[in-house]
Amino acid sequence: MIEQLKEIYSTLIVYKDGSDQLGLDYKWFATDNGEIIGIRNDELTSRDVSLLTTFLSPYKVKFPTPTEAERNWRKVIFSADLIEEKDWKPSNPFRFVYFSFNINQIEPLLFKDAIEALFDKQVSILWESEHEGFIIEQQMLEEESISFEQIIDILMSDLYVKINFFVGPYIKDMVNLTLHYISLTNVAKRVFLYTNKSVVTYVEAIPFILTKQTEAELRIDISKTILQEYIHDEETIKMIETFFRCNLNLSETAKVLHLHRNSLQYRLDRFVDKTGIDIRQFHHAMTVSLALIARK
Amino acid sequence: MAELKLVNIKKVYDNNVVSVQNFNLEIRDKEFLVLVGPSGCGKSTALRMIAGLEEITSGDLYIGDKRVNDVPPKDRNIAMVFQNYALYPHMDVYNNMAFGLKLRKFKKDEIKKRVDNAAKILGLESLLNRKPKALSGGQRQRVALGRAIVRDAEVFLMDEPLSNLDAKLRVQMRAEIQKLHNRLQTTTIYVTHDQTEAMTMATRLVVMKDGIIQQVGAPKDVYDEPDNVFVGGFIGSPAMNFLNGKLIGNYFIMDDIKLLVPDGRLKILKERGYDGKDIILGIRPEDINDEQVFLDFSPETKLSASVEVAELMGAEIILYSQVNNQNFVARIDSRFNITAGDTIDLAFDLSKAHFFDKETELRIK
Repeated sequence: MIEQLKEIYSTLIVYKDGSDQLGLDYKWFATDNGEIIGIRNDELTSRDVSLLTTFLSPYKVKFPTPTEAERNWRKVIFSADLIEEKDWKPSNPFRFVYFSFNINQIEPLLFKDAIEALFDKQVSILWESEHEGFIIEQQMLEEESISFEQIIDILMSDLYVKINFFVGPYIKDMVNLTLHYISLTNVAKRVFLYTNKSVVTYVEAIPFILTKQTEAELRIDISKTILQEYIHDEETIKMIETFFRCNLNLSETAKVLHLHRNSLQYRLDRFVDKTGIDIRQFHHAMTVSLALIARK
Repeated sequence: MAELKLVNIKKVYDNNVVSVQNFNLEIRDKEFLVLVGPSGCGKSTALRMIAGLEEITSGDLYIGDKRVNDVPPKDRNIAMVFQNYALYPHMDVYNNMAFGLKLRKFKKDEIKKRVDNAAKILGLESLLNRKPKALSGGQRQRVALGRAIVRDAEVFLMDEPLSNLDAKLRVQMRAEIQKLHNRLQTTTIYVTHDQTEAMTMATRLVVMKDGIIQQVGAPKDVYDEPDNVFVGGFIGSPAMNFLNGKLIGNYFIMDDIKLLVPDGRLKILKERGYDGKDIILGIRPEDINDEQVFLDFSPETKLSASVEVAELMGAEIILYSQVNNQNFVARIDSRFNITAGDTIDLAFDLSKAHFFDKETELRIK
């Protein structure tokens, strides 16, 4: 049936969890098999919709009604001509915080209620789809801050939902906002493929993104050249990753790995002897860190 | 109340990292089960799979008789408590406990009944109007427990809930959580990296390493009869000593040092074919004695050692020493004044020691 419909509606797409988005520019329907399909609004007349609903169920995207601030944000981000007008501007530096959770885990309305309860004020959320979007967080220095790691735990315990956050940098002006938003969207959608962390900041994401933009062959070559005989030595790799996570602090790393400090020292020395790379030095550590990302 | 069953559970992340594998476990109704292991061992991932927050790559998870792999987290009738207190900073204690129920559209009367009941259980009645920043760490963690209690869930899942507290408060809260469990009798799965917490709180322990269960058992059983070198070394503080040597005849030999192996242990070692082979001796620090009566009764399991560091802990001294370049730690009575640099005689109580295979690191039994 879907193939037949595709012949009539060229914009028809089938929703796949994690791939496409349940965008607002599509009209969405559920088939009897539970598949969700979308057809662009501009390809549908009201007659088409009536006809389609005789054998398909309308699939409602339950987004909260956009607030005035959210409408303004959409305008300044997506309508280039309105940016020039500067008739609306947030009073404080702001940042875009991308969030995503599994489809159908919670309704957008519920998510927004919980987020506003956490910030104790109206928060602008720009929905990219039913399960992802951007929170626009304005910098309020006097407020008691709450980390996104804490927010994840709170929402997990109240809403039973696992959320990822990609936290953009604070920005002060609206120049090139569209480009910034698009760039963040691209990074956000890719960064969680490379890390198991639930909260990733823009700064943390940069090495992932830059490394992943290189050719696959080059990535393999870099990881082999740098890591040498350790490339498949999971125990040493884990030790090095922990050393980096502990900010190159030997004692802290030894504690986390339940190793004696001297044993760790010995293993790091052995790595230096065999590779000629001393990961206690910043530049060497950075190179090995990139090689580890390239290896993934 | 609920029983849980995990059958061949495996978790592989998108980047092909295997976090948990061959995870088979039955959790009994009303049990306080503790998953313990070093960071990265997969214990939190296992907990999150039970919660439904992590997808199970393969295997089956049952709560009661129902397979719940595909049941959304909100329908699993569980409640979670985390290391971060997970409190809304701008809400008072009452609303912090009530908010989850409000989101679920519970009626006001029911919410009040549940919050009042939880506050009574946790001794929070006088703090209901306070905001989190006006509470101590222990009080905040009690509110976090209250948020779980109001759910009236069948299973509590706790992920390192005491890690943010200072050492003294942690000891207090350990006891409070145990009392709470005794009172509510809710099946509880508790994750910690702290072996002391695990030992003191668990009905049963599950020791994990590299995503694999190493041993399951009552704390005393795991302590007394570790299945392998890892468990022996992880459970207990200071850790069990491991000394490399060889079984020759009736003796465990470390170069020029000979320790007589007791008959029972010797019989097992010989039956398993270890005569003449390299093995590992595992002995707990408290099973190394310096008292004259032990030394007199153990002429063939004693040795002289130079003390490198002596830590006075009050009632006992922790001695750090070496034998043939192998480090070991002894815990002895502090009646005798021993300091670094002293040479003392020590008797190894090999009747309490264990022997492990050098290759597999499994206990020889």
